[in-house]
Amino acid sequence: MGSPIYLRRLRPARIVPYVLKKSRPKQVKAEIETADYPGVADSYLGTRVNALRKAQNADGGWPYFPGKQSWLEPTLYAALALHGQPEADRAWELVSTWQQKDGGWRPSAEVGFPHATTALAVTVAAARGEFGGPFQNGVKWLLAAAGDESEMYKRIIIRVGSLMGKVEDQRDFSLKGWPWKLETSSWVEPTSMALVALKKAAPKIPTAELRERVRMGEEMLLDVRCTDGGWNYGNRTARGDELRSYPETTGIALVGLQGRAEVGRSIDLAGKMLRETASPMARAWLTIAMRVNGIFPGPHNVNASSVDARNVDAHDSKVSPDVLITALEALGDPDGNHSLLKVAA
Amino acid sequence: MKMKRRDLFPIAGAAALAGYAAWETRRTASLRPKLPGTSAVTVVKAASYTVDLAGRMTAGIRACGLEVRGQRVLLKPNLVEFDPNTCINTNVAVIAAAYEAFSKLGAAEVLIGEGPGHRRDTYALAEMAQYRGELDKFDSLFVDLNRDDVSPVMNFADRNRIYLPNTALRADLVVSLAKMKTHHWAGATLSMKNFFGLVPGAVYGWPKNELHHVGIPESIVELNRIFHRSFAIVDGIVGMEGNGPIQGTPKPVGVLVMGRDLPAVDATCCRIMGIDPAKVEYLQMASENLGITEESRIEQRGEKIAAVRSDFQLIKQFQDLRLA
Repeated sequence: MGSPIYLRRLRPARIVPYVLKKSRPKQVKAEIETADYPGVADSYLGTRVNALRKAQNADGGWPYFPGKQSWLEPTLYAALALHGQPEADRAWELVSTWQQKDGGWRPSAEVGFPHATTALAVTVAAARGEFGGPFQNGVKWLLAAAGDESEMYKRIIIRVGSLMGKVEDQRDFSLKGWPWKLETSSWVEPTSMALVALKKAAPKIPTAELRERVRMGEEMLLDVRCTDGGWNYGNRTARGDELRSYPETTGIALVGLQGRAEVGRSIDLAGKMLRETASPMARAWLTIAMRVNGIFPGPHNVNASSVDARNVDAHDSKVSPDVLITALEALGDPDGNHSLLKVAA
Repeated sequence: MKMKRRDLFPIAGAAALAGYAAWETRRTASLRPKLPGTSAVTVVKAASYTVDLAGRMTAGIRACGLEVRGQRVLLKPNLVEFDPNTCINTNVAVIAAAYEAFSKLGAAEVLIGEGPGHRRDTYALAEMAQYRGELDKFDSLFVDLNRDDVSPVMNFADRNRIYLPNTALRADLVVSLAKMKTHHWAGATLSMKNFFGLVPGAVYGWPKNELHHVGIPESIVELNRIFHRSFAIVDGIVGMEGNGPIQGTPKPVGVLVMGRDLPAVDATCCRIMGIDPAKVEYLQMASENLGITEESRIEQRGEKIAAVRSDFQLIKQFQDLRLA
């Protein structure tokens, strides 16, 4: 397993504290062991990596906000951002205990049912090169999970409900996507994350079933794309009126659809959204999407030639107290681990 | 896809089951005793967001007999999406005024919490809606309820349990700072429907589709049953009509509607909007054992409904909700 580029860059600087700590009194040692890395600590990536280290809970997981309970989603994105580091190994030890007998992962220790974030756990397992039981069972769970609107009787109920004006029949319900929670409908984000996981799993589990779910999942995402070329949570219209896309879900969908020829105009829209959005989470997702789709905006998440510099100063230089955003920003950095979300064409 | 006869069996079974369940629900509901007595609802005029809203709220809260001294109060605005061309969210001036009013009335703690149903970056949304810029110490007062720590609460409609944010469960009083809007599935979204934002996205996703599968009216009623220590302040200064709650158009009404009985507040709002509350399903259900919706049993304080009524445009599917 190769070290990510940023870790290779950090490694020489780490020698200094290790040498120093031998000759220092005990009380100083702890301080040195957690010291920021000279030279990169104040970089965009360095500040985020250090913030993630500081926010890690004692149980090895990460909360959404420092000091809170550990959750699967921020833990796994932080683990990807710190891939290859001891912190990521501790996180994996914790989340391994959250996998249920059916192969799905619960979203936190407190919640008792499996969740869409199972897809991300499979992706992290693949990134770690761990293709044993937990990975295999996670893939099985993903293959068995589908939005319940794709079941035949539900499609008929939806059709009848639509004629009665009770529900909106606006998409091809034969296309199976993934839900946030079993026995609910499929939506953009869980579908996109499941696509990444299954594409990562494909070399190890090259079955027709897996290929078919990937095909249907991609078609489902394309089917719910808004008229403007982007994605919201997964509805094109409401009561006949067109709905707008959102920048964060457009980025997420483009990660799931990476490499598809049909996303050209969506990529164009993503570039526009990246310049205009005020959401750090959206900027992080759009940046990751641009990178895994082979488009490389300049440092600090945005294309330096077209960005409003004030926007960068105001938003991108500061580390967010939101752990998920910090992890996504670290992943999206030019030297970050975004390649762990990249799948083979 | 061609359908075989055997495909119809589960459909017929499901239909029969659904029919029985609906009949059983209505039958048992009709056996429950109606709540006794009356409920107070205060309607105050506020022509714009620049008038003294805190003073009006304080008077309204007192008129409803609410005591908040020493209590932990959670203000729950309606923050859904942002569109500069319309008025989707509770106006920031209403939140600021409520914060001031509850603080001055002696609340031990006043926090603001919301879990938007569609957008993942709650803080960015709060910034776009001017909450972050206009409310002092917003970041230290605000809790993203989508990603708060959670605890299970047993029995939620036909589900064994629901996970809810600890900040909301710990609060002595949840104040629904709702927006007066039409809703393209529920008819109207007011103080009761606003509690959808208490359900954590980190567990149920974006959107919180579990609530749709449980049933929108059922979920509204269940959430209000769980968070019964509540108070409502509905921002009807500028509401939304037409294809609400997101794509509708602004509707200036110039009122704040307040009360401890949320079904009574929402029924009053409906009458102000020209909607018959008896035809709004969740209010029908709520009237069975959660609150009072009959006009004759609501003690109207402040303005009379007739003095402030301003019919909201309704989408064609909800024309039959119009109040005679």
